[in-house]
Amino acid sequence: MKIDCTIDGKTLTLSLNSDKPLSLILRENMGDEGYVNHCSGRMCGLCAVLVDGKAVLSCMVPAFEIRGKTVTTFESFRRSKEMKDIEKAYEAVGAYPCTDCYASRSLIFHSLIDEGVTDKNQILKELSIVRCHCMDAASEIKIVQKGIEIRRKRNVRRTQLA
Amino acid sequence: MAERKNFSRYNMRCGILLRAPEGQCRITDLSIPELDSRYLALTGNDIPGNNTFSFLSGNMPIIAKETLSYPGQIVLALFAPDYESASLMMRNIKLETEHLEDAVPVDVPDSLEYSWGERQEEESRYKEVTSHFTLEHIGRPTRRIYSVTAWLDGANMHIEAPTEWVELVRETVEKATGYPKRNITVHTMPYTARHDEYLIEPAILAAIAATAAIRSGLPSEIRTEGMYSRPEIKVDRTTETDEDGKPVYETAVMTVDQGAFLFASEEYQRQAMTGLIPPYPLKAFRASVRIASSSNYPAAFCGSLGYSEALAATEYHISRLADKSGVTPALYRLSIEKEKRKFTDYIPGYDLEETKKCIKKAADEASYDRKWAANSFQKDEFGLLGYLRGVGISSGVGISGFSTTLSKELGFSLMMTFTQKHNVTVNTSALNHPGTIKIWKDRIAERIIPGRPEGVMFLDHGPDTIDTGPDVLSRLVASLTPQLESAAKRLSVLKDTEKLPVSIRLDAENTYYPCEFENSGCGAIVAEIIIEKESMIPVARNVWAAFAFPTIMDETSLRNSIKRTIMMTLSENGMRLPADFSIHLDISETGTEDTVASVQQLARGLTLGAAMNALAQALGEKAVLPINAERINRIFTTEDADL
Repeated sequence: MKIDCTIDGKTLTLSLNSDKPLSLILRENMGDEGYVNHCSGRMCGLCAVLVDGKAVLSCMVPAFEIRGKTVTTFESFRRSKEMKDIEKAYEAVGAYPCTDCYASRSLIFHSLIDEGVTDKNQILKELSIVRCHCMDAASEIKIVQKGIEIRRKRNVRRTQLA
Repeated sequence: MAERKNFSRYNMRCGILLRAPEGQCRITDLSIPELDSRYLALTGNDIPGNNTFSFLSGNMPIIAKETLSYPGQIVLALFAPDYESASLMMRNIKLETEHLEDAVPVDVPDSLEYSWGERQEEESRYKEVTSHFTLEHIGRPTRRIYSVTAWLDGANMHIEAPTEWVELVRETVEKATGYPKRNITVHTMPYTARHDEYLIEPAILAAIAATAAIRSGLPSEIRTEGMYSRPEIKVDRTTETDEDGKPVYETAVMTVDQGAFLFASEEYQRQAMTGLIPPYPLKAFRASVRIASSSNYPAAFCGSLGYSEALAATEYHISRLADKSGVTPALYRLSIEKEKRKFTDYIPGYDLEETKKCIKKAADEASYDRKWAANSFQKDEFGLLGYLRGVGISSGVGISGFSTTLSKELGFSLMMTFTQKHNVTVNTSALNHPGTIKIWKDRIAERIIPGRPEGVMFLDHGPDTIDTGPDVLSRLVASLTPQLESAAKRLSVLKDTEKLPVSIRLDAENTYYPCEFENSGCGAIVAEIIIEKESMIPVARNVWAAFAFPTIMDETSLRNSIKRTIMMTLSENGMRLPADFSIHLDISETGTEDTVASVQQLARGLTLGAAMNALAQALGEKAVLPINAERINRIFTTEDADL
């Protein structure tokens, strides 16, 4: 089937099987092998992407679900201002994810920061889909809290400048 | 730098692998249907050059030919225009095997023995304390899919792969295809190899993909899931102690099952032996490290070449000695260790003061003695299952990666030049790492061109050929530092007396190393583990760690690295990390000029030791790692002989 979608700012019409997982579309059709893993749905949590701004596991998203949607992978997200906020939060807390889960965890952090989630249990629940034990729960909570603070300050500055 | 791949996926071959369903068997039939020109099947006979992968004295076939040594061994690679076609065609390929009575033979090195002193026969008044430390084999997929791509560009062969050792990929492709090494360019892909899983298999896949690229004339890619395997380790230790509980004589026997093919076995023995030598004084000590093979997946190093595991076994034994003498393990360590450690062929006689400080810091922070005593008393009060809580401690020093023997075998050369523009250039074949280069630059500049580290240049061969090697193999980095410093001192004199440019050449033979390893940094870890009463799942509650390093380059990275190693070691060994799990980490700098090396190796060894000690308190001495609910259940319900 033909699917229209926007991936990393490019409007595309892809001809593919309707049930092909997004992680495979990104790896095979888009050639993004560095940041998107494909574990055949075994929940490694290393294939997160943003679909309409919300972090999802791309191996769980069939092709037909991205019709008309905007997909952002870490490849393009890492150059955004939002990622700079997250990097600042990592620096402020003094904890970084490992290279294996850096992309996935950063996208989930972004999603949580964007929604302004402050509930500790919800933060840990959302982040528990990344099955990589490189970061302790306390650091994860601090990063989200710091990220929200940094982003709020940036938004206030922008409003003042406007 | 060469161009990375820029070809269309529609014009390439996608490869999948047929792997052995079981080990220790013989191929009786491998039937491949008639394939049209879109497909390409490669068996062991299709490799044009040498069908052998070699790494640090170990060899294994790239594609198995007649016998299959372990489950998962590559039997055939099938290339098709896309992965779906390859998978469909693979269903038509039939593999039949016949089980072999005996394992496929491999060369096993002799056991490594080391001893000092002699046991006096008449001294039979000593008490005997024995311990059995077991790390069971772990073999599991990494849940990470990676691809290795090979393509030809004129006379050049390009390989794109996640690899820990670029040179190994080039050498394997050269031997398998006959392509000269200078024409092989390796583009490394991002990866995290926490179990060193990108050391061996990517090189093997690169050789297969390169063969397919040559045969089909098209870019060829193989996609597969990573796999790692931890060797099975058993350490049996016996100590004779005097009336005060102080050890007098000791024997240790370590057996390491490295799987179907043995890689770096002799180096493994040397590193393991270093970990087996205890830090306390003994009248006589005898240890042996035996390597064994089995039909398991060949073991990766998991960030350690045996030192971590042996150190954990030693620390486990010290806690058993403490148990028998009725003193808390932290106090026992402080009381039996002298101020300086005995000098041996494997590790120098370093000062133990810093290690003792780390023990005190970690134990005080964790209220270790109080918790240990409380758990011990409570254990007796609770009936069948015990108190199900344990707190364990371990302490030790880190060692620099490679042994002196292996460094000299591998060899490297280095040339340092003071140029006419008053800069310093360094050209070396040694493995180097960006972080270490920064430190080296500062140190060289300090001696020759003070305050101008940017004037020191390491000749860069480009990111594709710089060979970092895996973290665990960082011995060269450690041993090169003192050599660089002495060369810089000599060059600072020569630059004023000789005509410029002036150069100094070095090689591994230039320096005399009295021991196989140098000590580098030390630490202590306390781990608190509870067993959930309902589910019998082991849960790590808290970890307190204190480390002291000679120099700290980047404290944030170091903290992250230690925390990660602790968490990954615990979870790899079956411990659940709850949301309120915390690591209290204290790092101090001792101010000496040694280079820090293999921090992960030390943290891993100490975590294993502390976890094992905590489990021993919670479950008794039948505990093994990795631990799980089923195993815990069996500990309480089964007789010793059936465990």
